[in-house]
Amino acid sequence: MASDWREEHITIAGLQVQVFHGGQGPPLLVLHGAAGNPGWLQAYDALAERFHVYAPSHPGFGTSDRPEWVERVHDLAYCYRWFMEALQLSTLSVIGFSMGGWLAAEMVAMYPAAVRRMVLVGAAGIKPSVGEIADIFLMTPQDVLQKQFYDPAQAPEYARLYGAEPTQEQRQMAAWNREMAALLTWRPYMYNPKMPALMAQVHTPTLVVWGRQDAIVPLNCGELYQQAIPGARLVAIDHCGHSPQIEKPQAFLDTVLPFLTAP
Amino acid sequence: MVDVYFFTEMPYAEFDERAAEQYPSMRLTFPNTYFDPAKANVLFRNYYDQFQWAEEVGFDGLMINEHHNTPSCMDVAVNLSAAVLGRITRQAKILLLGNMLPTNDNPVRLAEEVAMADVISGGRIIAGVVRGIGIETWANNTQPNYNRERFEECHDLMLAAWTRPGPFRWEGKHYHFRVVNPWVLPIQKPHPPIWVPGTGSPETVEWAALHRYTYAAFLVPMDAAVRLYENYREHARAAGYEATAEQFAYMVCCVCADTDEQAQELGKHYMWRMGHPLRGPAEYWAPPGYVGQRKAVQPAGVLRHGRKPLYEMTYEELQESYHLVVGSPQTVLEKLSHMHERLGFGSLLLEAQAGAMSHAATMRSLELLGREVIPQLKKRS
Repeated sequence: MASDWREEHITIAGLQVQVFHGGQGPPLLVLHGAAGNPGWLQAYDALAERFHVYAPSHPGFGTSDRPEWVERVHDLAYCYRWFMEALQLSTLSVIGFSMGGWLAAEMVAMYPAAVRRMVLVGAAGIKPSVGEIADIFLMTPQDVLQKQFYDPAQAPEYARLYGAEPTQEQRQMAAWNREMAALLTWRPYMYNPKMPALMAQVHTPTLVVWGRQDAIVPLNCGELYQQAIPGARLVAIDHCGHSPQIEKPQAFLDTVLPFLTAP
Repeated sequence: MVDVYFFTEMPYAEFDERAAEQYPSMRLTFPNTYFDPAKANVLFRNYYDQFQWAEEVGFDGLMINEHHNTPSCMDVAVNLSAAVLGRITRQAKILLLGNMLPTNDNPVRLAEEVAMADVISGGRIIAGVVRGIGIETWANNTQPNYNRERFEECHDLMLAAWTRPGPFRWEGKHYHFRVVNPWVLPIQKPHPPIWVPGTGSPETVEWAALHRYTYAAFLVPMDAAVRLYENYREHARAAGYEATAEQFAYMVCCVCADTDEQAQELGKHYMWRMGHPLRGPAEYWAPPGYVGQRKAVQPAGVLRHGRKPLYEMTYEELQESYHLVVGSPQTVLEKLSHMHERLGFGSLLLEAQAGAMSHAATMRSLELLGREVIPQLKKRS
């Protein structure tokens, strides 16, 4: 059942921010990865039955403003503090996908009391001890997409999201997002060296979710997050790549919903 | 009067170039296991001998450049070669084209190095500055989004280090230094001449014109160069001055032999330089943000002016388009004279060695160019 969601632009600390939102219940913030905001995903419908889901485009991405001073992922964490203030949200839960997971971790490190529960999904931000985070900027966008999925055929929204030849406007937006992601994550590539130290002080209940066959951010990063964050739990979804919310939405929801709705 | 420079990228072509076909490019990720330092040692000796010889036979200047992660150019530090040339030559200008500003994290050290080379050479350095192709951004792991900003700030700081009495502080956006006070300063005052190369970007032409720097068109078709030079003149007029020939340089590939037939055989070595080193994925040539916000991504230096890329041109097409000038002294003279008449540049930069072209053939080519072609070209100009 499709929920009643809408897209609008809201003003946060003088910045116009594009946000997809809808649903009933306590606030749940969903943070997109380096490729930009995919818009409202099927999986959000189920989340929206229990939460008011906010899926913004980070400053610098999509049609959100790109302030000149934002150049690191933790700069975006400041913006989301202001986002909460603008929407008068004293606390929220957060799901961060890929680079958005890194952002969620920075937020929790910066203002722990404001985050009720945190879900990190295929999260960047921590340096792997085994393997490497794939260099998405050295690959063609097509190669990145190919690496993102274990088996695209099992992703119900694959055709809707990636099936059509992109328009000129979509290509330009993809390049615009890629530029911003490169700015935020260039060096050291895709991680904050301080992350393990920061995560050691986190008391927010945390669930770490990974596609076991993630070929972009290795499962090892999920293990390191789980080891660093006191009390964190790691769930690896079998036969799944970097984006469980798209590739295996039901398994993703079965893992995430009980955690987010636990008393 | 035209000044003529000898240029080689100091290539390393001592391997089977078909190896490159197994990889996305001969640049950036082509494995360095193909490199043999013993062979490189011989090559470096040859190249420096060629520079010395070029000066002796009549070239006005010697041009060097810098690239990283590529067999097409072993010069990985243009200031190192400048220092060597400064000591082993006597009067030729030494054209660095150039130092990569955006990938440089220490413009003060850069200013010191160029100043030292200028002092060693007795004031013969021309301090060219470049943005560096996207591959250099990868090789140096520099933020591509700031390429243009860092180019400009690095330039400003380098100039300040040469001209503003120290000590002073620099608090810029990308560079921060508490005590700028380089002891070694250039001989040339207020600073060595600055040149900037371009392959067609209008921003570069404008920037060069505003600073009154010499603009060197690199492997640009002649009709495009005419337009670029005209743009330069327009920007100069808008800035209140009239550009002179000294502000225009033109770079082509050129090889000379005793007969046209011999030269045609020799010139085929340039197909190595025009081939694999110019190919590669767009991601290598233009990392995200390098080209500029919301502009279509195009491999820099590859697709130009809506024409066929150089690596798709045949040997004959490269000659017809004057990217490659090949022939006996008389043939080369006619072609270079035609180019000079059409473009009116003050400096002609001849890439007169390429690929696996032998040392002996290069030395003979330089001799013919220096003793037979250059004097005639100067007379005609």
